[in-house]
Amino acid sequence: MCFDSKQVSHYKVPTMTTDRVVLSGLIAELILRQLPCGGWAALASSSQPALEPTCFAALALGLFPGGALGRAQEFLLHTQNPNGSWPAFAGDDTDGAWVTSLAVMALHDVIPAIPAKLRGVHWLMSFAGKESNWFWKWKFRTTDRHVRFDPDKFGWPWFPDTVSWVVPTTFAILALNQLPSSCGGLEQVPFRVERGVEMLLDRVCPDGGWNAGNGVVYGVPVAPHPDDTAIALLALREHERHPVVQSSIHYLERIAPSLTAPWSLAWAILALAAYGRPIDSLYSSLVALPKLPNVDDTNTLALICLALDYQRALSALGVTS
Amino acid sequence: MRLTRRDFLVGSAALVAGSSVSVPFLLPKYHIDCRPRRSRVAILQAARYSQELDQTLAAGLRLFSIDVRGKRVVLKPNLVDYAAGDAINTHPLLVLAAAESFRRMGAKSVVVAEGPGHQRDTELVLSQSGYQESLRDEKVRFVDLNRDELVRTPLRAAYMGMRDLWLPRTVLEADFLVSMPKIKTHHWAGVTLSMKNMFGVVPGSRYGWPKNILHWKGIQESILDVCATAPVRFVIADGILAMEGNGPLNGTPRPLGKIVLADDPIAADATCARLMGFEPERIVHIREGSRFLGNSAPELLDQVGETVNAPATPFEVVPEFQDLRFA
Repeated sequence: MCFDSKQVSHYKVPTMTTDRVVLSGLIAELILRQLPCGGWAALASSSQPALEPTCFAALALGLFPGGALGRAQEFLLHTQNPNGSWPAFAGDDTDGAWVTSLAVMALHDVIPAIPAKLRGVHWLMSFAGKESNWFWKWKFRTTDRHVRFDPDKFGWPWFPDTVSWVVPTTFAILALNQLPSSCGGLEQVPFRVERGVEMLLDRVCPDGGWNAGNGVVYGVPVAPHPDDTAIALLALREHERHPVVQSSIHYLERIAPSLTAPWSLAWAILALAAYGRPIDSLYSSLVALPKLPNVDDTNTLALICLALDYQRALSALGVTS
Repeated sequence: MRLTRRDFLVGSAALVAGSSVSVPFLLPKYHIDCRPRRSRVAILQAARYSQELDQTLAAGLRLFSIDVRGKRVVLKPNLVDYAAGDAINTHPLLVLAAAESFRRMGAKSVVVAEGPGHQRDTELVLSQSGYQESLRDEKVRFVDLNRDELVRTPLRAAYMGMRDLWLPRTVLEADFLVSMPKIKTHHWAGVTLSMKNMFGVVPGSRYGWPKNILHWKGIQESILDVCATAPVRFVIADGILAMEGNGPLNGTPRPLGKIVLADDPIAADATCARLMGFEPERIVHIREGSRFLGNSAPELLDQVGETVNAPATPFEVVPEFQDLRFA
């Protein structure tokens, strides 16, 4: 099935179920928001192409391949930095950003993009939280102990020269898990993935769930966030029996029915679906949210599309449900 | 004593090494002086959040000679995260009252803009904290600064050691930027007031959640560079229900019953600090900011409304900041 913004009405046929109609409308809106360069801006009112919305849009359009997807992939290939990373937005500095993981996943099935993806993966392997360095490990063990975490367990930061955080670590793990095991020159991948998983388990909030990555500060537990929790759970699918994962699933199941913000609700659907938990009522809640196509944030718009076709979305993220 | 070639080389190397370490500390950190001759501060009494805030604030704003006719006004509240019953965020009723006042004063547009530093789902924070419904009802536009268009902006001070920051277009194009902090203690910065509130303009999409690069470059230093680069024209500080202790997220609500208005962020923060029972000169970013961004000395402030009375019991702070409290 191929969508084109000029053919939106074509898909609004009575034989489609409500959610498919909603999904086709959202995909059409997503295509309408695509910029001439092939990328997407973070907000509907903006014209600055950014990588996060472009990658989520490309993953969503992967469910319905067509010209828009091809232009998105071209945009991704053109914006790659010389060092193999991707920037946060077109025109950004060329040091690289966490969205490199998203770009690698968004180009997963694109054969001509294999060299670009490999360069991206090599950059990801060189990219680590500052606490991976012996000096900062020592500092966090001795003098800077207000945030509870084990600096031996490191993952990926948002941007160079900062420490590891939950969301960038999760997406890096998901991207690296998609590599074929025969990939040469990347022998350190299992080590980094293992450290990243350990870091996620270490940074959990005391009663389950994750926020940005500060579980306990000054001895006080900090509350988890539903979106960060859902995202982290996607990377821990192979560790379902771990108590941290179990308590975090319970937290998400508890909080999800009260969510009215589509971004968090969509992530909750994806994560709970990955663990085979019931999501029918959450799915209905998402479909029933008013004015979904008018969502200003294009990241959210694309993510809703992914949640409404969660099985294929999970496959695109390399998560087995 | 004869100087050998070896002595000369060792001495030269030591001189170069010493200079490379010390020169950055000796160079001036700012090249601007935005301090007004005098600054005006008003302390308003407000016991609770109610519809009456509209009138209270309108009356308070009349104490200043503000002209926003035809201007783009951007209100920057402190909207970090949400926890029921806590005093984390600037209350939406105060923000709505400000929007209404500036509209009545002839502003071309009034926008509420924020980039939450801890929570990526801005819409979730907006809905849980009561902002979404209030802003929709009053038809006030909200801009998520974490995802706004970005412009590379040279820094107008050099405390962080960075040359520029990517900052949101909405903030840079504002004619009248109003910082609307919640009066709180902060476990890394001592206090979070109108200056620290400006961390929210640094975009998460470019610097992450939390905006970790600012912590690594030094929180006090970052506050100064951001405030020098995105100048605050007016302050409306929410101290009706303030926060003490382990702020900005896990502190204890502390009723203060006050709103602080000022035409100078340094003056506002110095006054708020005094109301919290702190010595402003002991707060690094206020002390340093008073050298080039505004006035903190009481003799340079025109105090209107209520007078500043330090509380009988200063606000609680984490142990590292005990020395902020008046002796």
